[in-house]
Amino acid sequence: MTTALTSKVYDVDDFAAAQEFYHSNGWTDGLPVVPPTEEAVAACLEWALMPPDMLIGIEPVREQPITAEKLAINAVMAGCLPMHFPIVTTAWQAMMKEEFLMHGVTSSTGGAAVLVIINGPIRREIGANSTFNTLGNSDRSTAVIGRALRLALINLLDARPGGIDRSTLGHPGKFSYCIAEDEEDTTWQPLSVVRGIPEGVSAVTVMGAMAPRQIMNEWTKDPREILETFAAEMRANQRHYSIYGGNYAIIIPKQLRDHIQDAGWSKRDIAEFIYERARIRRAEWTDVGKGAVVRDRGETVHTALASPDDLLVVAAGGPAGGFGAVIAPWFGSKTKAVTAAIGACVDCEPPKG
Amino acid sequence: MILRVFDPTNERTSAGGKPAPRPVSLKGKTIGFISNGKEGTAGYFGHLDRMLREEFGVADIVFRRKSNYSAPADAHIVDEIKNWQAVVTGVGD
Repeated sequence: MTTALTSKVYDVDDFAAAQEFYHSNGWTDGLPVVPPTEEAVAACLEWALMPPDMLIGIEPVREQPITAEKLAINAVMAGCLPMHFPIVTTAWQAMMKEEFLMHGVTSSTGGAAVLVIINGPIRREIGANSTFNTLGNSDRSTAVIGRALRLALINLLDARPGGIDRSTLGHPGKFSYCIAEDEEDTTWQPLSVVRGIPEGVSAVTVMGAMAPRQIMNEWTKDPREILETFAAEMRANQRHYSIYGGNYAIIIPKQLRDHIQDAGWSKRDIAEFIYERARIRRAEWTDVGKGAVVRDRGETVHTALASPDDLLVVAAGGPAGGFGAVIAPWFGSKTKAVTAAIGACVDCEPPKG
Repeated sequence: MILRVFDPTNERTSAGGKPAPRPVSLKGKTIGFISNGKEGTAGYFGHLDRMLREEFGVADIVFRRKSNYSAPADAHIVDEIKNWQAVVTGVGD
């Protein structure tokens, strides 16, 4: 395959000089980067069977074309190996869907990050860890994939702090915010299957997401009581951050997951319960200092989810601890989570028989 | 050892057009305001409305509010722009 790269080339003296060169040009997230050499960039493209000029998509608001070559350069800088690259390109395709509203997610003062959730066999191929420390520094693969998305946002869409990125605060997920679902240790359907991707197909889901809000309830085995704690955190987010409904993700680690599964609850049962419980009256804003915008609509009920389908239920997290996490949307339904199948491995699978 | 490395930025420019010619004077003109709809912009646009009319002789101000403050202006607003001689928009909070 032709791998003639067309990006501008620079010669730097050594690894340390490369760091100073990239930092001084504003091309990093502040951490060291892997120098994107021709060999490393070409290896990513070869792995994904993509020519350098392949158009991954066009950012719909500012009409910026995104090519495989440019994504590969940023992926290498983030520390990606070739096997990570198809996830990066698929996530970018998902982010460029109109309903994701990438421009808003990445430029808003609200300071959202892009949460990436990986499903399917590719999780095991890349050695993603779905258990201990899942929302932190859990493993190499999820760390570098999440970082690759951010570096590409910085370099391809100018989403730099104070540039296109107008975040007032931001949050640590803007360095990297990527998890893999624990599909082996659950009876639940993978998130991707719930969202319409065939079983056994690798996929990514992207969501414009705020920082995780951790909950704890280790004093019951009743699914209703456990999920009431999650719903309460969502109500808290509605009171303290944004009242408007949208995609929420909830991360349910093994200890709480086992209780819910043992009671026979599916992800759908969880979503329907949460939909009913995660809602507040607009008048509650008066309790938290926001009475000025309640006006004459105090009795209006705002649901955190427009429908149960808006809840992304993810099985992930370490084996012990009665914890879970709620991840709120950037801002209501202005952005929609998008799930996309990872096509490269389907194409490269040898024909059977 | 010399390393040969690549530019990670989007070296292309967007397909957007050139800026329209700047008006020499605002006197007698119709000016459009496109607000993002945030609370804090009301005072700004109110003040600007008075200033443009009183100090610059603007004939008319057309005020429009985007339906989603994080997305581009709605198509019907963009369609109206051809009826105005200048537009004021931007980020406000």
